[in-house]
Amino acid sequence: MDMYTLMSGLQLTCIYAILAIGVSIIWSSLGMLNLAHGFTFAASGYGAWWAVTVFGNSALVVFSAGITTGAFVGVLIYFLAFLYIYDKPNYPVRALIATMAINMIGVQFLMWWFGPRMKPLPKVFGFGSIKFGDAVVTYSQFGTIVCSVGVLGILLGWLGITRRGLEIRAMMQNPEGAALVGISLRKTALWVMALSGALAGLAAVLLSQTFFVSPYAGLQPLIKGLIVALLGGLGSIGGAMVGAVMVGFAEALTASYLGGQYVLMVQFTMIIIILLFRPRGISGLLDEAREE
Amino acid sequence: MAIDKQSQHSAPSRSLVGDRGWLPRIRLAGQRSLTRYRIPFTRRTWFQGHAVVNPRDLTRQYKLDDKRPWFWIGGLIAALIIPILVGTNLALTAATTFALYAAINLMWMLVIGTAGIFSLATLAVVGASAYLAAWFSIEFGITWPVMLLLGTLVGLLFGAIIGLPALRIDGLYFALLTMGVVELCRVYVLQSRTFGSATGGLYGADTFIPVAWQLKTPGLILGYVAAFAVMLAMLGIYRLVNGQRLGLLLATARESEATAEALGINYQRARFTVFLISSAGLGFIGGFYATYFKGASPSLFSIDQVMLLFAMIVIGGLGRAEGAVVGTGVVVVLDKMFTEFGPIRFIVIGLIMLGVTLFARNGLFGIRDQFVEFRNKKKSERRSGRTEKGGEPLPEEATEIRDKDQIYFRRFDKRLRDHLKTLVTPEVIEEHRLKPLGQHSDPLERVLNYFRGAGGENKYVLYELKANTEYKIIVTTGEKGIPPRDVDSTIYTSKNEALHAVFLKRVQDLMDS
Repeated sequence: MDMYTLMSGLQLTCIYAILAIGVSIIWSSLGMLNLAHGFTFAASGYGAWWAVTVFGNSALVVFSAGITTGAFVGVLIYFLAFLYIYDKPNYPVRALIATMAINMIGVQFLMWWFGPRMKPLPKVFGFGSIKFGDAVVTYSQFGTIVCSVGVLGILLGWLGITRRGLEIRAMMQNPEGAALVGISLRKTALWVMALSGALAGLAAVLLSQTFFVSPYAGLQPLIKGLIVALLGGLGSIGGAMVGAVMVGFAEALTASYLGGQYVLMVQFTMIIIILLFRPRGISGLLDEAREE
Repeated sequence: MAIDKQSQHSAPSRSLVGDRGWLPRIRLAGQRSLTRYRIPFTRRTWFQGHAVVNPRDLTRQYKLDDKRPWFWIGGLIAALIIPILVGTNLALTAATTFALYAAINLMWMLVIGTAGIFSLATLAVVGASAYLAAWFSIEFGITWPVMLLLGTLVGLLFGAIIGLPALRIDGLYFALLTMGVVELCRVYVLQSRTFGSATGGLYGADTFIPVAWQLKTPGLILGYVAAFAVMLAMLGIYRLVNGQRLGLLLATARESEATAEALGINYQRARFTVFLISSAGLGFIGGFYATYFKGASPSLFSIDQVMLLFAMIVIGGLGRAEGAVVGTGVVVVLDKMFTEFGPIRFIVIGLIMLGVTLFARNGLFGIRDQFVEFRNKKKSERRSGRTEKGGEPLPEEATEIRDKDQIYFRRFDKRLRDHLKTLVTPEVIEEHRLKPLGQHSDPLERVLNYFRGAGGENKYVLYELKANTEYKIIVTTGEKGIPPRDVDSTIYTSKNEALHAVFLKRVQDLMDS
């Protein structure tokens, strides 16, 4: 494996990990498979692009606008798809459908409002590259890896140390038990949605260093996020990390040795094989994974 | 036959009875209600119903137990005729799309609703058989009936391959796996030169539409009627699988898999069978797709299309045939008839989907059940709100009362008292004070009549201490040998004053009840 493949594998791994952890935390604490994650992603890209046109071109503007838009869309999804139905019958299926509907509405709205043309985001990490011996690593790859590893570290630390993080972890373990010891389901869910939305916003900004912002930009990241979260076992952060590494490197290796068009094929073949042997993902054990 | 004789000799008078609403129903003469026509070779009757007496005009009538067959027949005839009457190419194409998608959705409903397998590979099965049927037709020149057969076989095979992992993987994990299968098919079809990667699809297969009619109105009508027939066939399969033994076995497994297993139901096998049946149906639809469009296109494998199909079955309601058909109708009309609106029509579809999910528990056709449940809840809330003293008995209390007449008496009494309370006004009391005896106004007379009808228990009566000068009020006990008791020590000096005091006490009790 050459340096380029390694770095692009690492870059993809980081972005997928950010997306998958959002999906996974929402699933395990709220019991909802958030299919509107793709819309959050696309909307954050547009938010960052709009902020750049208004406030000028700087890394701070891009990051803060992307993350704020993501958090805002996350809260919107909370109000539309969680708050009203979370205690009603048939909740998991209805939440899935509601988020799918929000995704549809949101993507078509972006299409209608901004048009189908793609928008570029400024290169926040600059255009240069670093040389490690004979290998060349671009600033944006390097920046993406450093940035996402840092954010994931802060997030995991925050989840582990703070009281709010403790509440979220309690809800991930057992929502009813958390409610019994006085953790407000609604408040914590609001935090979870804002947090995962912000993560999706960050991933959108990072991925837009390589790709463009477009209304359908969220579909592939959504599929990847779902793949990674399910492969790792829904609700398991460690599993999501391992899944992200596998999916990210499978993608980088396929892209450099077989060709870009075979990426999804290889990934899905891998997943089908893994799921056949471990039906609840890599780390989700049969009994411990949250029932639907 | 007593009823028969009666109806011949003295035809019931058409004077209307009571204030009940009148519903139009099928009139019956004599014994016709007992004649039931059966579906040939089965023990089923065409319609289930029974004879009733219309409470309004006392004639005998036939009342359907289940009106849904009529709605189905009416709706299907309308769906068949309206596009043909409209006759524009747009309407006919949209209608054909509707029939095809409805057929696909019915089979998908079998997988999701009946079998409880969350598969997203429905369209992929259709696509695989459409592609293979088209390819065989182009390469080996097979005719369209053979294409249909081939499509069915391919669907069955494909279904077996996808269905086997479902024995082990469930829920969202299986959904992910099927999504992977769809993606694999899409990428393969887009890459493969055999399947027309250069031309954006595989075209040139045999078709059932005569060459002279192609792309003209008669051809479109023929295509629509054929697609409609396919939809009817799928409705039949849905009914046979969902309503018969397999569907019942799986209904038990949906409630509780452990119970099903304890009852000896091999629900895994039943699930797999349903999956195979629906895959064969989807393969048939795929073959039909190839003959209708003279080929197949990669859009059959797109995730967007799967999402749109899912929107259809969700809007109608999961687990119902009518949900699949009507939901498909709603979405297809919005999608195909309003193309000039661009993305807005998808926003509308999304909003409908969101609204239905948030407010209806199970799609449009679940609204009725949900409303009935809501009404019953409100009813019982109102009933438990009426817990005043001496009110009508609560249902749980009513089962304890031996004499059922008491229940009806108390209900009547409660309503009567509620009414009388509205009649007691300061004017009525003043009228009684001025003239306790003699002729009274109508409200006062009604109130007094109610008081007079009270039983001997706890009844206020006057006790004359000294003739015409001293009275006091006592209460009878209503039991022999037990003397009445005093109420208070007030002594009234005239009979009218004492009578009015009794009246006031009774009014007080009435208003307190």
